[in-house]
Amino acid sequence: VGAAAAPPLRLLGAVLALGFAAPLLFLLQQAAAVGPEVVAAAVDPGLLAPAARSLAMAGGAATAAAALGTAAAWAVTRTDLPGARGWAVVLALPLALPSYIGAFTLQAALAPGGLTDRVLGVALPRVEGWWAATTILALLTYPYVFLLVGARLRQLPADLEEAARLLGHPPRAVARRVVLPQVLPSVLAGSLLVFLYAVSDFGLPQLLRYDTLTRVIFGSLLDRPTSTALALQLAVLALLVAALHRAALGRVARGRPGTSAVRTGTRWRLGRWRLPAVAGVAALAVSALGAPLGVLAFWALRGVVSGSGRAGSVLQDPAVVTAPLLGSAAAGLLAAGAATAVVLPIAYLSARRRDRVGEVAHGVVVTGFALPGLVIALALSAFLLRGPVALSWLYQTLPVMVAAHVVHFAAQSLQASQVAVLAVPDRVVEAARTLGVGRVGRLLRVELPVMAPSLLAGAGLVLLSTVKELPATLLLSPPGFRTLATDVWAATTDAFWAEASVLALVLVALSAVLTWLLVLRRADALA
Amino acid sequence: VTRRPAAGLAAALLALAVLAAGCGGGDGDAVTIYSGRTSNLVGPILERFAEETGISVDVRYGDSAELALLIEQEGERSPADVFLSQSPGATGYLAGTGRLARLDQGVLDLVDERFRNADGLWVGVSGRQRVLVYNTDLVDEADLPDRVEEVVEPPLAGQVAVAPSNGSFQDFITAMRVTQGEEAAAAFLRGLAEADAPTYANNNAIVEAVGRGEVPMGLANHYYLHRFLEEDPDLPAANHRFDGDDIGALLIASSASVLEGSAQADGAQQLVEYLLSAEAQAYFAEETFEYPLATGVEPPSELPPLETLEVPAFDIDELGGGLERTLELIRDSGLDG
Repeated sequence: VGAAAAPPLRLLGAVLALGFAAPLLFLLQQAAAVGPEVVAAAVDPGLLAPAARSLAMAGGAATAAAALGTAAAWAVTRTDLPGARGWAVVLALPLALPSYIGAFTLQAALAPGGLTDRVLGVALPRVEGWWAATTILALLTYPYVFLLVGARLRQLPADLEEAARLLGHPPRAVARRVVLPQVLPSVLAGSLLVFLYAVSDFGLPQLLRYDTLTRVIFGSLLDRPTSTALALQLAVLALLVAALHRAALGRVARGRPGTSAVRTGTRWRLGRWRLPAVAGVAALAVSALGAPLGVLAFWALRGVVSGSGRAGSVLQDPAVVTAPLLGSAAAGLLAAGAATAVVLPIAYLSARRRDRVGEVAHGVVVTGFALPGLVIALALSAFLLRGPVALSWLYQTLPVMVAAHVVHFAAQSLQASQVAVLAVPDRVVEAARTLGVGRVGRLLRVELPVMAPSLLAGAGLVLLSTVKELPATLLLSPPGFRTLATDVWAATTDAFWAEASVLALVLVALSAVLTWLLVLRRADALA
Repeated sequence: VTRRPAAGLAAALLALAVLAAGCGGGDGDAVTIYSGRTSNLVGPILERFAEETGISVDVRYGDSAELALLIEQEGERSPADVFLSQSPGATGYLAGTGRLARLDQGVLDLVDERFRNADGLWVGVSGRQRVLVYNTDLVDEADLPDRVEEVVEPPLAGQVAVAPSNGSFQDFITAMRVTQGEEAAAAFLRGLAEADAPTYANNNAIVEAVGRGEVPMGLANHYYLHRFLEEDPDLPAANHRFDGDDIGALLIASSASVLEGSAQADGAQQLVEYLLSAEAQAYFAEETFEYPLATGVEPPSELPPLETLEVPAFDIDELGGGLERTLELIRDSGLDG
């Protein structure tokens, strides 16, 4: 730590940062083109209120998600919770639901005259505003915290905890004084992702009618001064929060947590807490995943029963599902792989070397997640089609769509990659170097195996986000390319609920399979 | 050893998917369509065009406003030949940037002057009407209003839901501003705000809320209800039309236009012409429950015919501009989006 990074690595970091800065540069160029009206709109007091609301909603959701995600990760990885492996998959899945689907289904279920009203006779007030937006966002995004903290908990060495127990500390004290400090960086990293997701999301605040920055941006898309100014506000908000996060991280992660891959943390016996723990985990799964899926299944069945041609066609013609299914799988896997590879050098520079280039790149990568996918897509199209003609042929091809997803979502694997990079013990690398293993050999044979669980967790997050991504997929995909998300969107736009529901259920099933195969199963095996 | 099957499966899936994505690939001679209307609405008819003419088509679906912004950013090298828009605002925006080409006179003449651009930059293809959707269990037909202004007066005040952030509602307010003046539109919006009219995100949400009885009535476009009824025939909801000359009964056109500098200009013009043919117009009437806008084509049986339907006299080009002023009025009214 602290040693100067090799020049080639710094150069690579700088080039990557420039790529990630494309949306920011685009916004600045737009602002310059539109002129002083942008400045006027950016400082218009009436347009500052949406920023405050974005902050309030995202802050609330991040706090709630941190609590939910950490508790769930603890229960699944560190206790003898019955069915822990099953819960590990189920509790990660709410992330697969596009937030507008989650919000729409929960609203339909809970609203006056909705399912709870009709079936249970419980009439609730209208589902809207800050409370609704914050709660539903937390329910849909706590898996960011759950997955990152879970990966960290699986890796923590047992010796510290056992020492504390042998010294007579009660379990609660061990958890608070030994385990919590070691997972706090992951909690913060997950909360930052929830925060960024919340400020960049449009579908959910739109449906729950909470006037955030994105809602005003999309409500005045064609009013260029306003939409450009507010998108810039969003970018500044993201940079500030990223800086704040770095400062907080510096405070909590004073010493680098050591890791031994030999023996990891013990599982606590729940004893009389067994039933409450199962009930709590089940309640979380039901409200975040079961309820939306239940509503979708209800709509799908209702459509099929009433003989809707569209619902039937999905069941009769498998191609209606397989084409978008393959598209989603391809987009998700490519983006996950590319994002993980691309952020590794940045994570190395920023986390291990505390390098200036790495710090700047880190901030730039983070803003990519806070900006709407639309801005990223527009930026790439402007740069590709207005630059050298040689670049034009790349436009609307698979690589460019994947690049857009990487710019948008790499922040998710960056958080995990930094944890991964820090998990590699210096002495092991030194030992390998002493034994004459080259740089590439050390990376492949020593560092990657240690980093794998965290890297996979990060890749999983990118994957789950990409399979539900909409605007960049719509604008930059190769002609004729479809994903489940684009088809779900098309069906909901036209109020074909049965078709939308079937496709959304397939989307969740695909995410479940990929998450289990690529993230959780391996993470367990490697921990 | 345990990791191999997973990695292998992932690789196989990926290869298959990339292959599938590649096969859908672009075609240099194809007419490229950017469509703000969804594949459910226009996909089948675009396929029929390709079959009948032998001209292949590439369609990119998205939100109308987002596609308009994309075309603007793409500039002269834009792959788009045709722009199909759900909202007049997006087409008007593109027309303002000089990106639209003039359509052939023969194509323009297929549509009544009321539903096309005065400069010949776009034509209306299909129409949706503004209506009052109401819950048949909660509202007596006799109590339904004739004019849209009545929804801000007692006894209806506060009973009618609106979607202030929705493009169609905003088009309606723009039309009201143009036909009845700024003050009347501002007063209507203030009336909604003072009556605490329930507000929703969009037409779907309004119809859904009216159907489950959360709110007795709402202002929406006519065809959403038809789609809801197709999946849930028992939904206790119906459409009510305002008087023919009332601005509440505004007819909003989806539009087609050809991009300036299109490399496939001939095919593009042919496509727009095809969308106005009897065959395509009948498709819109029967399959998407919309009003056909080409002259001489009958609307679906459950809708009143367009000739007898009195639509408020209104210059449709006004919907292409002036959106900023409308948004400002909505903001100032205090109506909670």
